[in-house]
Amino acid sequence: MEGPHDIDQTTRADDGDGLDPREAAWLLAQTEREAQRQFNLSPLWITAVMGAVILVAYGALWLSTRGQHPYKGPNLGVVGLVYAAVAVAIAASVKVYRRATRGVSGPPVRQQQLEGVAILVSFVLGSPVLQGAIKHYGASDAIVYGVIPAAAPLIIVGTTVLGIAASKADWRQFGAALAVVIAGVVAAFVGPSGAWLAAGIGLFIAMVGYAAADSLRHRRLSLQA
Amino acid sequence: MTADSLDPVIHAPARLRIVATLAALPEGASLSFTRLQDVLELTPGNLITHLRKLEDAGYLKSETTGNGRASRTSIALTRHGRAALETYTDALRDLLGGL
Repeated sequence: MEGPHDIDQTTRADDGDGLDPREAAWLLAQTEREAQRQFNLSPLWITAVMGAVILVAYGALWLSTRGQHPYKGPNLGVVGLVYAAVAVAIAASVKVYRRATRGVSGPPVRQQQLEGVAILVSFVLGSPVLQGAIKHYGASDAIVYGVIPAAAPLIIVGTTVLGIAASKADWRQFGAALAVVIAGVVAAFVGPSGAWLAAGIGLFIAMVGYAAADSLRHRRLSLQA
Repeated sequence: MTADSLDPVIHAPARLRIVATLAALPEGASLSFTRLQDVLELTPGNLITHLRKLEDAGYLKSETTGNGRASRTSIALTRHGRAALETYTDALRDLLGGL
Protein backbone atom coordinates (compact mmCIF):
# COMPACT_ATOMS: atom_id res chain seq x y z
CA MET A 1 0.00 0.00 0.00
CA GLU A 2 1.14 3.52 -0.70
CA GLY A 3 2.56 5.56 2.14
CA PRO A 4 1.23 8.91 3.28
CA HIS A 5 1.29 11.64 0.64
CA ASP A 6 1.86 15.29 1.31
CA ILE A 7 -0.32 18.12 0.10
CA ASP A 8 1.94 18.99 -2.86
CA GLN A 9 1.50 15.51 -4.26
CA THR A 10 -2.24 15.98 -3.79
CA THR A 11 -2.27 18.99 -6.05
CA ARG A 12 -0.34 17.16 -8.76
CA ALA A 13 -2.45 14.03 -8.62
CA ASP A 14 -5.62 15.96 -7.98
CA ASP A 15 -7.42 15.23 -11.22
CA GLY A 16 -7.70 11.88 -12.89
CA ASP A 17 -6.26 12.92 -16.25
CA GLY A 18 -3.39 10.48 -15.86
CA LEU A 19 -5.49 7.69 -14.38
CA ASP A 20 -5.98 4.82 -16.75
CA PRO A 21 -9.44 3.14 -16.53
CA ARG A 22 -7.81 -0.25 -15.92
CA GLU A 23 -5.75 1.25 -13.12
CA ALA A 24 -8.91 2.86 -11.70
CA ALA A 25 -10.73 -0.51 -11.76
CA TRP A 26 -7.81 -2.17 -9.98
CA LEU A 27 -7.65 0.63 -7.40
CA LEU A 28 -11.41 0.40 -6.80
CA ALA A 29 -11.30 -3.38 -6.29
CA GLN A 30 -8.23 -3.08 -4.05
CA THR A 31 -9.86 -0.36 -1.92
CA GLU A 32 -13.09 -2.34 -1.58
CA ARG A 33 -11.16 -5.40 -0.41
CA GLU A 34 -9.21 -3.35 2.12
CA ALA A 35 -12.39 -1.63 3.37
CA GLN A 36 -14.13 -4.99 3.77
CA ARG A 37 -11.12 -6.25 5.74
CA GLN A 38 -11.16 -3.14 7.95
CA PHE A 39 -14.91 -3.10 8.70
CA ASN A 40 -15.62 -6.84 8.63
CA LEU A 41 -17.35 -8.08 11.80
CA SER A 42 -16.82 -11.75 10.93
CA PRO A 43 -13.32 -12.24 9.49
CA LEU A 44 -12.20 -15.78 8.74
CA TRP A 45 -9.96 -16.07 11.80
CA ILE A 46 -12.87 -15.32 14.18
CA THR A 47 -14.96 -17.93 12.37
CA ALA A 48 -12.13 -20.42 12.95
CA VAL A 49 -11.93 -19.48 16.67
CA MET A 50 -15.71 -19.77 17.08
CA GLY A 51 -15.77 -23.07 15.22
CA ALA A 52 -13.05 -24.47 17.48
CA VAL A 53 -14.87 -23.20 20.58
CA ILE A 54 -18.14 -24.81 19.48
CA LEU A 55 -16.50 -28.14 18.70
CA VAL A 56 -14.47 -28.21 21.94
CA ALA A 57 -17.32 -27.06 24.20
CA TYR A 58 -20.18 -29.13 22.80
CA GLY A 59 -17.90 -32.11 22.10
CA ALA A 60 -16.69 -32.10 25.71
CA LEU A 61 -20.28 -31.82 27.00
CA TRP A 62 -21.38 -34.73 24.82
CA LEU A 63 -18.41 -36.93 25.78
CA SER A 64 -18.82 -36.26 29.50
CA THR A 65 -22.52 -37.15 29.49
CA ARG A 66 -22.49 -39.99 26.96
CA GLY A 67 -23.72 -43.27 28.43
CA GLN A 68 -24.96 -41.77 31.71
CA HIS A 69 -27.90 -43.76 33.14
CA PRO A 70 -29.53 -41.97 34.82
CA TYR A 71 -28.41 -38.68 33.36
CA LYS A 72 -26.51 -36.52 35.88
CA GLY A 73 -25.16 -33.79 33.60
CA PRO A 74 -21.59 -32.78 32.68
CA ASN A 75 -18.91 -32.88 35.39
CA LEU A 76 -17.46 -29.68 36.88
CA GLY A 77 -14.20 -29.91 34.91
CA VAL A 78 -16.08 -29.91 31.63
CA VAL A 79 -18.30 -27.05 32.78
CA GLY A 80 -15.12 -25.08 33.61
CA LEU A 81 -13.68 -25.88 30.15
CA VAL A 82 -16.91 -24.69 28.49
CA TYR A 83 -16.86 -21.42 30.43
CA ALA A 84 -13.19 -20.89 29.51
CA ALA A 85 -13.93 -21.57 25.82
CA VAL A 86 -16.89 -19.18 25.89
CA ALA A 87 -14.72 -16.52 27.57
CA VAL A 88 -12.13 -16.87 24.77
CA ALA A 89 -14.89 -16.57 22.15
CA ILE A 90 -16.35 -13.47 23.81
CA ALA A 91 -12.93 -11.80 24.17
CA ALA A 92 -12.12 -12.49 20.50
CA SER A 93 -15.52 -11.18 19.37
CA VAL A 94 -15.16 -7.99 21.41
CA LYS A 95 -11.69 -7.41 19.93
CA VAL A 96 -13.02 -7.83 16.38
CA TYR A 97 -16.08 -5.66 17.04
CA ARG A 98 -13.99 -2.84 18.53
CA ARG A 99 -11.53 -2.93 15.65
CA ALA A 100 -14.22 -3.02 12.98
CA THR A 101 -16.36 -0.26 14.47
CA ARG A 102 -13.58 2.11 15.64
CA GLY A 103 -14.53 5.56 14.39
CA VAL A 104 -17.79 4.31 12.87
CA SER A 105 -20.99 5.97 14.11
CA GLY A 106 -24.54 6.74 13.07
CA PRO A 107 -27.91 4.96 13.05
CA PRO A 108 -26.67 1.62 11.59
CA VAL A 109 -24.17 1.24 14.46
CA ARG A 110 -26.86 2.01 17.06
CA GLN A 111 -29.10 -0.51 15.32
CA GLN A 112 -26.35 -3.17 15.56
CA GLN A 113 -25.87 -2.41 19.25
CA LEU A 114 -29.61 -2.79 19.93
CA GLU A 115 -29.62 -6.08 18.03
CA GLY A 116 -26.71 -7.21 20.21
CA VAL A 117 -28.66 -6.33 23.36
CA ALA A 118 -31.72 -8.25 22.13
CA ILE A 119 -29.59 -11.34 21.39
CA LEU A 120 -27.80 -11.07 24.75
CA VAL A 121 -31.08 -10.76 26.68
CA SER A 122 -32.61 -13.76 24.90
CA PHE A 123 -29.43 -15.78 25.60
CA VAL A 124 -29.02 -14.79 29.25
CA LEU A 125 -32.70 -15.01 30.25
CA GLY A 126 -34.29 -17.55 27.90
CA SER A 127 -32.80 -20.89 28.84
CA PRO A 128 -32.14 -20.27 32.59
CA VAL A 129 -35.75 -19.12 33.13
CA LEU A 130 -37.08 -22.23 31.38
CA GLN A 131 -34.70 -24.47 33.35
CA GLY A 132 -35.79 -22.85 36.62
CA ALA A 133 -39.46 -23.20 35.78
CA ILE A 134 -39.35 -26.86 34.74
CA LYS A 135 -37.11 -27.70 37.72
CA HIS A 136 -39.73 -26.02 39.92
CA TYR A 137 -42.42 -28.27 38.42
CA GLY A 138 -40.34 -31.40 39.07
CA ALA A 139 -38.83 -32.27 35.69
CA SER A 140 -35.96 -34.78 35.68
CA ASP A 141 -32.25 -33.85 35.55
CA ALA A 142 -32.14 -35.19 31.99
CA ILE A 143 -34.54 -32.42 30.96
CA VAL A 144 -33.31 -29.63 33.27
CA TYR A 145 -29.53 -30.16 32.77
CA GLY A 146 -29.50 -31.92 29.42
CA VAL A 147 -32.18 -31.27 26.84
CA ILE A 148 -33.14 -27.70 27.82
CA PRO A 149 -29.66 -26.10 28.18
CA ALA A 150 -28.57 -27.74 24.90
CA ALA A 151 -31.68 -27.07 22.81
CA ALA A 152 -33.38 -24.00 24.28
CA PRO A 153 -30.62 -21.40 23.68
CA LEU A 154 -30.51 -22.42 20.01
CA ILE A 155 -34.27 -22.14 19.60
CA ILE A 156 -34.64 -18.91 21.61
CA VAL A 157 -31.58 -17.03 20.33
CA GLY A 158 -32.08 -18.49 16.84
CA THR A 159 -35.65 -17.15 16.59
CA THR A 160 -34.50 -13.76 17.91
CA VAL A 161 -31.86 -13.56 15.16
CA LEU A 162 -34.40 -14.90 12.65
CA GLY A 163 -36.65 -11.91 13.41
CA ILE A 164 -33.77 -9.44 13.16
CA ALA A 165 -32.62 -10.94 9.85
CA ALA A 166 -36.17 -10.89 8.43
CA SER A 167 -36.62 -7.23 9.39
CA LYS A 168 -33.45 -6.36 7.42
CA ALA A 169 -34.16 -8.81 4.58
CA ASP A 170 -30.70 -10.29 5.28
CA TRP A 171 -31.25 -13.74 3.80
CA ARG A 172 -27.78 -15.09 4.61
CA GLN A 173 -28.31 -14.32 8.29
CA PHE A 174 -31.89 -15.62 8.03
CA GLY A 175 -30.68 -18.94 6.61
CA ALA A 176 -28.00 -19.33 9.30
CA ALA A 177 -30.50 -18.50 12.08
CA LEU A 178 -33.03 -20.96 10.63
CA ALA A 179 -30.34 -23.67 10.63
CA VAL A 180 -29.64 -22.89 14.31
CA VAL A 181 -33.35 -23.14 15.19
CA ILE A 182 -33.65 -26.45 13.32
CA ALA A 183 -30.57 -27.75 15.19
CA GLY A 184 -32.26 -26.74 18.45
CA VAL A 185 -35.47 -28.54 17.50
CA VAL A 186 -33.51 -31.70 16.58
CA ALA A 187 -31.51 -31.45 19.82
CA ALA A 188 -34.75 -31.34 21.81
CA PHE A 189 -35.69 -34.84 20.61
CA VAL A 190 -32.44 -36.85 20.68
CA GLY A 191 -32.02 -37.35 24.40
CA PRO A 192 -30.04 -35.39 27.02
CA SER A 193 -26.55 -36.42 25.87
CA GLY A 194 -27.31 -36.51 22.15
CA ALA A 195 -28.76 -33.02 22.51
CA TRP A 196 -25.25 -31.60 23.09
CA LEU A 197 -23.93 -33.38 19.99
CA ALA A 198 -26.84 -32.29 17.78
CA ALA A 199 -26.61 -28.69 19.06
CA GLY A 200 -22.84 -28.54 18.50
CA ILE A 201 -22.98 -29.96 14.96
CA GLY A 202 -25.94 -27.74 14.05
CA LEU A 203 -24.28 -24.58 15.38
CA PHE A 204 -21.00 -25.41 13.63
CA ILE A 205 -22.71 -26.03 10.28
CA ALA A 206 -24.76 -22.82 10.57
CA MET A 207 -21.69 -20.74 11.41
CA VAL A 208 -19.46 -22.20 8.69
CA GLY A 209 -22.32 -21.89 6.17
CA TYR A 210 -22.83 -18.23 7.06
CA ALA A 211 -19.09 -17.50 6.79
CA ALA A 212 -18.93 -19.23 3.40
CA ALA A 213 -21.97 -17.30 2.09
CA ASP A 214 -20.50 -14.02 3.35
CA SER A 215 -17.14 -14.78 1.79
CA LEU A 216 -18.82 -15.64 -1.55
CA ARG A 217 -20.74 -12.35 -1.48
CA HIS A 218 -17.54 -10.34 -0.90
CA ARG A 219 -15.82 -12.28 -3.68
CA ARG A 220 -18.71 -11.60 -6.06
CA LEU A 221 -18.66 -7.89 -5.21
CA SER A 222 -14.91 -7.74 -5.83
CA LEU A 223 -15.26 -9.48 -9.19
CA GLN A 224 -18.00 -7.06 -10.22
CA ALA A 225 -15.72 -4.08 -9.61
CA MET B 1 -17.42 5.49 -24.52
CA THR B 2 -14.15 7.19 -23.45
CA ALA B 3 -12.39 7.91 -20.15
CA ASP B 4 -13.85 11.43 -20.36
CA SER B 5 -17.26 9.95 -19.56
CA LEU B 6 -16.04 9.01 -16.08
CA ASP B 7 -17.11 11.37 -13.29
CA PRO B 8 -14.03 13.64 -12.84
CA VAL B 9 -14.85 14.21 -9.17
CA ILE B 10 -14.44 10.50 -8.43
CA HIS B 11 -11.90 9.67 -11.15
CA ALA B 12 -8.82 10.62 -9.12
CA PRO B 13 -6.89 8.03 -7.08
CA ALA B 14 -7.36 9.54 -3.61
CA ARG B 15 -11.02 10.51 -4.11
CA LEU B 16 -11.84 7.11 -5.63
CA ARG B 17 -10.35 5.44 -2.55
CA ILE B 18 -12.22 7.78 -0.18
CA VAL B 19 -15.59 7.16 -1.83
CA ALA B 20 -15.03 3.38 -2.12
CA THR B 21 -14.01 3.17 1.54
CA LEU B 22 -17.05 5.12 2.76
CA ALA B 23 -19.32 3.05 0.49
CA ALA B 24 -18.21 -0.10 2.33
CA LEU B 25 -20.04 1.16 5.44
CA PRO B 26 -23.79 0.60 5.83
CA GLU B 27 -25.92 3.40 4.39
CA GLY B 28 -26.24 6.21 6.94
CA ALA B 29 -23.06 5.33 8.87
CA SER B 30 -20.29 7.90 9.38
CA LEU B 31 -16.55 7.39 9.74
CA SER B 32 -14.28 9.53 11.88
CA PHE B 33 -11.66 11.61 10.09
CA THR B 34 -8.85 9.87 11.99
CA ARG B 35 -10.02 6.34 11.10
CA LEU B 36 -10.46 7.31 7.45
CA GLN B 37 -6.96 8.76 7.49
CA ASP B 38 -5.59 5.54 9.05
CA VAL B 39 -7.33 3.32 6.51
CA LEU B 40 -6.23 5.35 3.49
CA GLU B 41 -2.80 6.30 4.84
CA LEU B 42 -3.15 9.88 3.65
CA THR B 43 -1.83 12.98 5.42
CA PRO B 44 -4.45 15.23 7.05
CA GLY B 45 -3.83 18.04 4.54
CA ASN B 46 -4.18 15.71 1.57
CA LEU B 47 -7.34 14.15 2.95
CA ILE B 48 -8.95 17.51 3.74
CA THR B 49 -8.30 18.74 0.19
CA HIS B 50 -10.03 15.77 -1.38
CA LEU B 51 -12.86 15.69 1.15
CA ARG B 52 -13.61 19.32 0.37
CA LYS B 53 -13.92 18.55 -3.36
CA LEU B 54 -16.23 15.63 -2.68
CA GLU B 55 -18.30 17.65 -0.24
CA ASP B 56 -18.60 20.53 -2.73
CA ALA B 57 -19.99 18.02 -5.24
CA GLY B 58 -22.53 16.87 -2.65
CA TYR B 59 -21.06 13.34 -2.54
CA LEU B 60 -20.37 13.40 1.16
CA LYS B 61 -21.20 15.36 4.25
CA SER B 62 -19.04 16.03 7.28
CA GLU B 63 -20.04 16.91 10.79
CA THR B 64 -17.82 18.26 13.55
CA THR B 65 -18.81 17.90 17.17
CA GLY B 66 -17.06 19.30 20.25
CA ASN B 67 -14.50 22.07 20.49
CA GLY B 68 -10.72 22.36 20.40
CA ARG B 69 -8.75 19.18 21.02
CA ALA B 70 -11.92 17.28 21.88
CA SER B 71 -13.51 18.00 18.51
CA ARG B 72 -14.36 15.06 16.28
CA THR B 73 -15.15 15.14 12.60
CA SER B 74 -17.31 12.42 11.05
CA ILE B 75 -17.70 11.87 7.33
CA ALA B 76 -20.52 10.05 5.57
CA LEU B 77 -21.31 9.31 1.96
CA THR B 78 -24.58 10.91 0.86
CA ARG B 79 -27.15 9.03 -1.25
CA HIS B 80 -26.05 11.21 -4.12
CA GLY B 81 -22.44 10.11 -3.52
CA ARG B 82 -23.37 6.42 -3.33
CA ALA B 83 -25.34 6.73 -6.57
CA ALA B 84 -22.41 8.57 -8.18
CA LEU B 85 -20.04 5.73 -7.28
CA GLU B 86 -22.47 3.18 -8.74
CA THR B 87 -22.71 5.22 -11.96
CA TYR B 88 -18.90 5.55 -12.03
CA THR B 89 -18.48 1.77 -11.52
CA ASP B 90 -20.99 1.01 -14.30
CA ALA B 91 -19.26 3.44 -16.64
CA LEU B 92 -15.88 1.92 -15.81
CA ARG B 93 -17.22 -1.58 -16.48
CA ASP B 94 -18.69 -0.47 -19.84
CA LEU B 95 -15.46 1.22 -20.75
CA LEU B 96 -13.30 -1.78 -19.90
CA GLY B 97 -15.72 -4.11 -21.67
CA GLY B 98 -15.31 -1.99 -24.76
CA LEU B 99 -11.51 -1.89 -24.61
